[in-house]
Amino acid sequence: MNFQGYGAPAAGGFPGGFPAQQQQDPLYGYFTTVAGQDGQISAEELQACLTQANFSGGYRPFNIETCRLMISMLDRDMSCAMGFAEFKELWAVLSGWKQHFMSIDRDMSGTVDPQEMTQAIGSMGYRLSPQATNSIIKRYSSNGKISFDDYVACCVKLRSLTDAFRKRDQAQQGVASFQYDDFIQSTMSI
Amino acid sequence: MAYQNQYRPPQYNNAPPDQSFLWNIFQRVDKDRSGAISDTELQQALSNGTWTPFNPVTVRSIISMFDRENKGGVNFNEFAGVWKYITDWQNIFRTYDRDNSGFIDKTELKQALTGFGYRLSDQFYNTLIEKFDRQKRGQVAFDDFIQCCIVLQRLTDVFRRYDTDQDGWIQVSYEQYLSMVFNVV
Repeated sequence: MNFQGYGAPAAGGFPGGFPAQQQQDPLYGYFTTVAGQDGQISAEELQACLTQANFSGGYRPFNIETCRLMISMLDRDMSCAMGFAEFKELWAVLSGWKQHFMSIDRDMSGTVDPQEMTQAIGSMGYRLSPQATNSIIKRYSSNGKISFDDYVACCVKLRSLTDAFRKRDQAQQGVASFQYDDFIQSTMSI
Repeated sequence: MAYQNQYRPPQYNNAPPDQSFLWNIFQRVDKDRSGAISDTELQQALSNGTWTPFNPVTVRSIISMFDRENKGGVNFNEFAGVWKYITDWQNIFRTYDRDNSGFIDKTELKQALTGFGYRLSDQFYNTLIEKFDRQKRGQVAFDDFIQCCIVLQRLTDVFRRYDTDQDGWIQVSYEQYLSMVFNVV
Protein backbone atom coordinates (compact mmCIF):
# COMPACT_ATOMS: atom_id res chain seq x y z
CA MET A 1 0.00 0.00 0.00
CA ASN A 2 1.40 3.36 -0.82
CA PHE A 3 2.39 5.59 2.07
CA GLN A 4 -0.39 8.04 2.62
CA GLY A 5 1.01 10.57 5.02
CA TYR A 6 2.76 12.87 2.58
CA GLY A 7 0.10 15.49 2.25
CA ALA A 8 -2.18 16.22 -0.67
CA PRO A 9 -0.78 18.37 -3.43
CA ALA A 10 -1.17 21.96 -2.32
CA ALA A 11 -4.55 23.41 -3.14
CA GLY A 12 -4.55 25.03 -6.53
CA GLY A 13 -1.35 23.31 -7.66
CA PHE A 14 -1.23 22.57 -11.34
CA PRO A 15 1.43 21.31 -13.73
CA GLY A 16 4.12 23.71 -14.94
CA GLY A 17 3.38 26.63 -17.20
CA PHE A 18 2.56 26.60 -20.90
CA PRO A 19 5.24 28.69 -22.53
CA ALA A 20 3.42 29.07 -25.83
CA GLN A 21 0.51 30.86 -24.24
CA GLN A 22 2.34 32.90 -21.71
CA GLN A 23 1.88 36.19 -23.52
CA GLN A 24 -1.89 35.98 -23.07
CA ASP A 25 -1.65 35.05 -19.41
CA PRO A 26 -2.67 37.98 -17.19
CA LEU A 27 -0.03 37.02 -14.67
CA TYR A 28 2.68 37.29 -17.31
CA GLY A 29 2.52 41.06 -17.57
CA TYR A 30 2.81 41.24 -13.85
CA PHE A 31 5.75 38.87 -13.86
CA THR A 32 7.73 40.76 -16.47
CA THR A 33 7.37 44.03 -14.59
CA VAL A 34 8.88 42.50 -11.50
CA ALA A 35 11.42 40.22 -13.15
CA GLY A 36 13.07 42.90 -15.22
CA GLN A 37 15.64 42.22 -17.91
CA ASP A 38 16.78 38.80 -16.86
CA GLY A 39 13.28 37.30 -16.86
CA GLN A 40 13.92 35.77 -13.47
CA ILE A 41 12.63 36.79 -10.05
CA SER A 42 15.03 37.01 -7.13
CA ALA A 43 13.98 36.84 -3.48
CA GLU A 44 14.05 40.64 -3.20
CA GLU A 45 11.95 41.07 -6.34
CA LEU A 46 9.47 38.48 -5.13
CA GLN A 47 9.15 40.28 -1.82
CA ALA A 48 8.51 43.58 -3.60
CA CYS A 49 6.03 41.95 -5.94
CA LEU A 50 4.01 40.27 -3.22
CA THR A 51 4.02 43.43 -1.14
CA GLN A 52 2.90 45.53 -4.09
CA ALA A 53 0.21 43.05 -5.03
CA ASN A 54 -0.93 43.41 -1.46
CA PHE A 55 -0.88 39.64 -1.45
CA SER A 56 -0.75 39.51 2.30
CA GLY A 57 -3.92 41.56 2.37
CA GLY A 58 -4.37 42.89 5.84
CA TYR A 59 -1.38 40.87 6.99
CA ARG A 60 2.17 42.10 7.29
CA PRO A 61 4.31 41.73 4.14
CA PHE A 62 6.46 38.63 3.73
CA ASN A 63 9.92 38.79 5.18
CA ILE A 64 12.85 38.17 2.87
CA GLU A 65 13.75 34.78 4.32
CA THR A 66 10.24 33.46 3.55
CA CYS A 67 10.62 34.75 -0.02
CA ARG A 68 13.95 32.98 -0.34
CA LEU A 69 12.31 29.79 0.91
CA MET A 70 9.54 30.10 -1.67
CA ILE A 71 12.03 30.46 -4.49
CA SER A 72 14.09 27.48 -3.38
CA MET A 73 10.91 25.38 -3.04
CA LEU A 74 10.38 25.60 -6.80
CA ASP A 75 13.97 26.19 -7.90
CA ARG A 76 14.42 23.10 -10.07
CA ASP A 77 17.52 24.32 -11.87
CA MET A 78 19.27 25.56 -8.70
CA SER A 79 19.46 29.03 -10.15
CA CYS A 80 18.25 30.69 -6.95
CA ALA A 81 15.73 32.63 -9.04
CA MET A 82 12.30 31.96 -10.42
CA GLY A 83 11.09 31.89 -14.02
CA PHE A 84 7.52 32.46 -15.18
CA ALA A 85 6.30 28.87 -14.97
CA GLU A 86 7.59 28.61 -11.41
CA PHE A 87 6.05 31.99 -10.58
CA LYS A 88 2.65 30.83 -11.80
CA GLU A 89 2.89 27.69 -9.74
CA LEU A 90 3.89 29.66 -6.68
CA TRP A 91 1.02 32.12 -7.11
CA ALA A 92 -1.52 29.29 -7.21
CA VAL A 93 -0.01 27.47 -4.25
CA LEU A 94 0.24 30.65 -2.20
CA SER A 95 -3.36 31.57 -2.97
CA GLY A 96 -4.49 28.20 -1.69
CA TRP A 97 -2.50 28.58 1.51
CA LYS A 98 -3.76 32.10 2.02
CA GLN A 99 -7.37 31.02 1.67
CA HIS A 100 -6.76 28.26 4.12
CA PHE A 101 -5.14 30.60 6.62
CA MET A 102 -7.94 33.11 6.33
CA SER A 103 -10.48 30.39 6.97
CA ILE A 104 -8.77 29.60 10.27
CA ASP A 105 -7.98 33.18 11.27
CA ARG A 106 -11.57 34.02 11.96
CA ASP A 107 -10.91 37.09 14.02
CA MET A 108 -8.67 38.46 11.24
CA SER A 109 -5.89 39.03 13.72
CA GLY A 110 -3.20 37.94 11.26
CA THR A 111 -2.20 35.10 13.57
CA VAL A 112 -3.39 31.62 14.45
CA ASP A 113 -2.76 29.61 17.59
CA PRO A 114 -0.83 26.31 17.71
CA GLN A 115 -3.96 24.19 17.84
CA GLU A 116 -5.39 25.82 14.72
CA MET A 117 -2.00 25.34 13.07
CA THR A 118 -2.07 21.63 13.97
CA GLN A 119 -5.46 21.32 12.32
CA ALA A 120 -4.21 23.19 9.27
CA ILE A 121 -1.27 20.83 8.86
CA GLY A 122 -3.56 17.84 9.21
CA SER A 123 -6.07 19.18 6.73
CA MET A 124 -3.29 19.70 4.18
CA GLY A 125 -2.97 15.92 4.30
CA TYR A 126 0.17 15.51 6.36
CA ARG A 127 0.01 12.61 8.79
CA LEU A 128 2.39 13.43 11.60
CA SER A 129 2.61 12.43 15.22
CA PRO A 130 1.76 15.06 17.86
CA GLN A 131 5.44 15.29 18.81
CA ALA A 132 6.58 15.93 15.26
CA THR A 133 3.83 18.50 14.76
CA ASN A 134 4.64 20.21 18.03
CA SER A 135 8.32 20.56 17.25
CA ILE A 136 7.48 22.03 13.86
CA ILE A 137 5.02 24.51 15.31
CA LYS A 138 7.33 25.50 18.16
CA ARG A 139 9.84 26.63 15.55
CA TYR A 140 7.36 29.11 14.11
CA SER A 141 5.47 30.48 17.08
CA SER A 142 6.29 33.78 18.64
CA ASN A 143 4.47 34.40 21.89
CA GLY A 144 2.35 31.34 21.26
CA LYS A 145 1.01 32.66 17.96
CA ILE A 146 1.85 31.97 14.34
CA SER A 147 1.77 34.82 11.86
CA PHE A 148 0.73 34.46 8.23
CA ASP A 149 4.32 34.86 7.11
CA ASP A 150 5.52 32.11 9.45
CA TYR A 151 2.62 29.89 8.43
CA VAL A 152 3.67 30.21 4.79
CA ALA A 153 7.32 29.55 5.67
CA CYS A 154 6.23 26.42 7.52
CA CYS A 155 4.08 25.22 4.59
CA VAL A 156 6.93 25.80 2.17
CA LYS A 157 9.40 23.87 4.27
CA LEU A 158 7.01 21.01 4.82
CA ARG A 159 6.42 20.76 1.10
CA SER A 160 10.11 21.03 0.17
CA LEU A 161 11.21 18.48 2.74
CA THR A 162 8.43 16.12 1.73
CA ASP A 163 9.48 16.38 -1.93
CA ALA A 164 13.09 15.65 -0.99
CA PHE A 165 12.06 12.67 1.10
CA ARG A 166 9.70 11.28 -1.53
CA LYS A 167 12.45 11.24 -4.14
CA ARG A 168 14.43 8.90 -1.94
CA ASP A 169 11.53 6.68 -0.93
CA GLN A 170 11.67 4.37 -3.93
CA ALA A 171 9.17 1.87 -2.60
CA GLN A 172 6.77 4.60 -1.47
CA GLN A 173 6.60 3.00 1.94
CA GLY A 174 7.38 6.08 4.01
CA VAL A 175 11.03 5.08 4.52
CA ALA A 176 13.94 6.72 2.72
CA SER A 177 17.66 6.14 2.54
CA PHE A 178 20.09 9.01 2.53
CA GLN A 179 23.79 8.96 1.83
CA TYR A 180 25.62 11.58 3.88
CA ASP A 181 26.77 13.97 1.12
CA ASP A 182 23.35 13.80 -0.50
CA PHE A 183 21.66 14.39 2.88
CA ILE A 184 23.69 17.52 3.49
CA GLN A 185 23.10 18.96 0.03
CA SER A 186 19.42 18.13 -0.33
CA THR A 187 18.60 19.40 3.14
CA MET A 188 20.63 22.60 2.90
CA SER A 189 19.08 23.43 -0.45
CA ILE A 190 15.76 24.10 1.20
CA MET B 1 35.59 8.20 4.77
CA ALA B 2 35.80 11.95 4.95
CA TYR B 3 32.53 12.11 6.87
CA GLN B 4 34.06 10.33 9.83
CA ASN B 5 36.62 12.83 10.87
CA GLN B 6 35.55 16.19 9.63
CA TYR B 7 33.94 19.48 10.36
CA ARG B 8 35.33 20.24 13.80
CA PRO B 9 37.26 23.48 13.27
CA PRO B 10 40.94 22.63 13.56
CA GLN B 11 42.11 23.26 17.10
CA TYR B 12 44.56 26.08 17.25
CA ASN B 13 47.25 25.77 19.87
CA ASN B 14 47.01 29.26 21.27
CA ALA B 15 48.17 29.51 24.83
CA PRO B 16 45.08 30.00 27.01
CA PRO B 17 44.54 33.73 27.42
CA ASP B 18 45.59 35.53 30.55
CA GLN B 19 42.71 35.61 33.08
CA SER B 20 42.99 39.33 33.74
CA PHE B 21 43.08 39.96 29.98
CA LEU B 22 39.83 38.01 29.61
CA TRP B 23 38.31 39.74 32.63
CA ASN B 24 39.02 43.14 31.11
CA ILE B 25 37.28 42.14 27.93
CA PHE B 26 34.38 40.62 29.83
CA GLN B 27 33.82 43.78 31.84
CA ARG B 28 33.86 45.95 28.76
CA VAL B 29 31.36 43.74 26.96
CA ASP B 30 29.07 43.33 29.98
CA LYS B 31 27.86 46.89 29.71
CA ASP B 32 25.04 46.69 32.23
CA ARG B 33 27.38 44.96 34.71
CA SER B 34 24.87 42.19 35.24
CA GLY B 35 27.63 39.59 35.55
CA ALA B 36 26.50 37.89 32.37
CA ILE B 37 26.92 38.82 28.73
CA SER B 38 23.60 38.84 26.89
CA ASP B 39 22.93 38.26 23.19
CA THR B 40 22.72 42.00 22.62
CA GLU B 41 25.95 42.75 24.45
CA LEU B 42 27.84 40.05 22.59
CA GLN B 43 26.42 41.21 19.29
CA GLN B 44 27.62 44.74 19.95
CA ALA B 45 31.10 43.52 20.81
CA LEU B 46 31.59 41.45 17.66
CA SER B 47 32.48 42.69 14.22
CA ASN B 48 31.77 41.00 10.88
CA GLY B 49 33.91 43.51 8.99
CA THR B 50 30.96 45.25 7.34
CA TRP B 51 29.76 47.89 9.78
CA THR B 52 26.43 46.08 9.96
CA PRO B 53 25.36 44.25 13.13
CA PHE B 54 26.73 40.77 13.67
CA ASN B 55 24.27 38.06 12.61
CA PRO B 56 21.87 37.75 15.60
CA VAL B 57 21.14 34.11 14.78
CA THR B 58 24.85 33.33 15.04
CA VAL B 59 25.07 35.27 18.32
CA ARG B 60 22.18 33.22 19.70
CA SER B 61 23.83 29.97 18.60
CA ILE B 62 27.11 30.89 20.25
CA ILE B 63 25.55 31.99 23.52
CA SER B 64 23.41 28.88 23.73
CA MET B 65 26.46 26.70 23.04
CA PHE B 66 28.20 27.98 26.16
CA ASP B 67 25.31 29.00 28.42
CA ARG B 68 25.21 25.99 30.70
CA GLU B 69 22.47 27.32 32.91
CA ASN B 70 19.99 28.28 30.22
CA LYS B 71 19.95 31.83 31.51
CA GLY B 72 20.16 33.54 28.13
CA GLY B 73 23.70 34.81 28.65
CA VAL B 74 27.22 33.74 29.58
CA ASN B 75 29.03 34.39 32.85
CA PHE B 76 32.78 34.92 33.11
CA ASN B 77 33.67 31.23 33.24
CA GLU B 78 31.53 30.44 30.22
CA PHE B 79 32.88 33.49 28.43
CA ALA B 80 36.35 31.92 28.25
CA GLY B 81 34.80 29.28 25.98
CA VAL B 82 33.07 31.92 23.87
CA TRP B 83 36.30 33.86 23.49
CA LYS B 84 38.24 30.78 22.37
CA TYR B 85 35.47 29.72 19.98
CA ILE B 86 35.40 33.07 18.25
CA THR B 87 39.19 33.34 18.15
CA ASP B 88 39.41 29.91 16.52
CA TRP B 89 36.88 30.98 13.89
CA GLN B 90 38.79 34.20 13.26
CA ASN B 91 41.93 32.16 12.62
CA ILE B 92 40.10 29.85 10.26
CA PHE B 93 38.48 32.73 8.44
CA ARG B 94 41.81 34.49 7.97
CA THR B 95 43.36 31.26 6.73
CA TYR B 96 40.82 30.82 3.98
CA ASP B 97 40.30 34.49 3.08
CA ARG B 98 43.39 34.17 0.95
CA ASP B 99 43.03 37.49 -0.82
CA ASN B 100 42.45 39.24 2.51
CA SER B 101 39.28 40.86 1.25
CA GLY B 102 37.47 40.43 4.56
CA PHE B 103 35.03 38.15 2.76
CA ILE B 104 35.12 34.53 1.73
CA ASP B 105 34.15 34.08 -1.90
CA LYS B 106 32.92 30.91 -3.55
CA THR B 107 36.39 29.54 -4.30
CA GLU B 108 37.65 30.24 -0.80
CA LEU B 109 34.49 28.71 0.70
CA LYS B 110 35.06 25.60 -1.39
CA GLN B 111 38.61 25.33 -0.08
CA ALA B 112 37.45 25.83 3.51
CA LEU B 113 34.67 23.28 3.46
CA THR B 114 36.67 20.77 1.44
CA GLY B 115 39.42 21.28 3.97
CA PHE B 116 36.96 20.40 6.71
CA GLY B 117 36.15 17.19 4.86
CA TYR B 118 32.86 18.01 3.15
CA ARG B 119 32.28 16.75 -0.40
CA LEU B 120 29.85 19.13 -2.02
CA SER B 121 29.06 19.83 -5.65
CA ASP B 122 30.15 23.05 -7.31
CA GLN B 123 26.53 24.01 -7.92
CA PHE B 124 25.75 23.55 -4.26
CA TYR B 125 28.21 26.28 -3.26
CA ASN B 126 26.02 28.74 -5.14
CA THR B 127 23.10 27.61 -3.02
CA LEU B 128 25.12 27.93 0.18
CA ILE B 129 26.17 31.46 -0.59
CA GLU B 130 22.67 32.48 -1.61
CA LYS B 131 21.38 31.03 1.64
CA PHE B 132 23.90 32.50 4.05
CA ASP B 133 25.21 35.69 2.46
CA ARG B 134 23.24 38.41 4.27
CA GLN B 135 25.28 41.21 2.71
CA LYS B 136 24.13 40.17 -0.76
CA ARG B 137 27.63 40.43 -2.22
CA GLY B 138 27.95 36.86 -3.43
CA GLN B 139 30.56 36.31 -0.72
CA VAL B 140 30.27 35.49 2.95
CA ALA B 141 31.26 37.78 5.76
CA PHE B 142 32.73 36.46 9.00
CA ASP B 143 29.44 36.01 10.86
CA ASP B 144 27.65 34.38 7.94
CA PHE B 145 30.61 32.04 7.43
CA ILE B 146 30.32 30.88 11.04
CA GLN B 147 26.56 30.48 10.63
CA CYS B 148 26.99 28.32 7.54
CA CYS B 149 29.50 26.09 9.30
CA ILE B 150 27.29 25.80 12.38
CA VAL B 151 24.34 24.61 10.31
CA LEU B 152 26.49 22.10 8.40
CA GLN B 153 27.82 20.89 11.72
CA ARG B 154 24.33 20.46 13.20
CA LEU B 155 23.14 18.50 10.20
CA THR B 156 26.20 16.29 10.44
CA ASP B 157 25.55 15.73 14.15
CA VAL B 158 21.98 14.71 13.56
CA PHE B 159 22.97 12.43 10.69
CA ARG B 160 25.61 10.76 12.83
CA ARG B 161 23.08 10.01 15.53
CA TYR B 162 21.07 7.95 13.07
CA ASP B 163 24.02 6.37 11.30
CA THR B 164 24.57 3.74 13.97
CA ASP B 165 26.75 1.48 11.83
CA GLN B 166 28.73 4.50 10.62
CA ASP B 167 28.69 3.61 6.96
CA GLY B 168 27.57 7.03 5.78
CA TRP B 169 23.98 5.91 5.10
CA ILE B 170 20.82 6.30 7.12
CA GLN B 171 17.36 4.89 6.68
CA VAL B 172 14.65 7.01 8.24
CA SER B 173 10.91 7.23 8.29
CA TYR B 174 9.17 10.31 7.01
CA GLU B 175 8.45 11.50 10.52
CA GLN B 176 11.99 10.95 11.71
CA TYR B 177 13.26 12.88 8.73
CA LEU B 178 11.02 15.87 9.39
CA SER B 179 11.89 15.94 13.08
CA MET B 180 15.62 15.62 12.35
CA VAL B 181 15.77 18.35 9.86
CA PHE B 182 12.98 20.82 10.42
CA ASN B 183 14.58 22.75 13.21
CA VAL B 184 18.08 22.77 11.82
CA VAL B 185 17.66 24.37 8.42
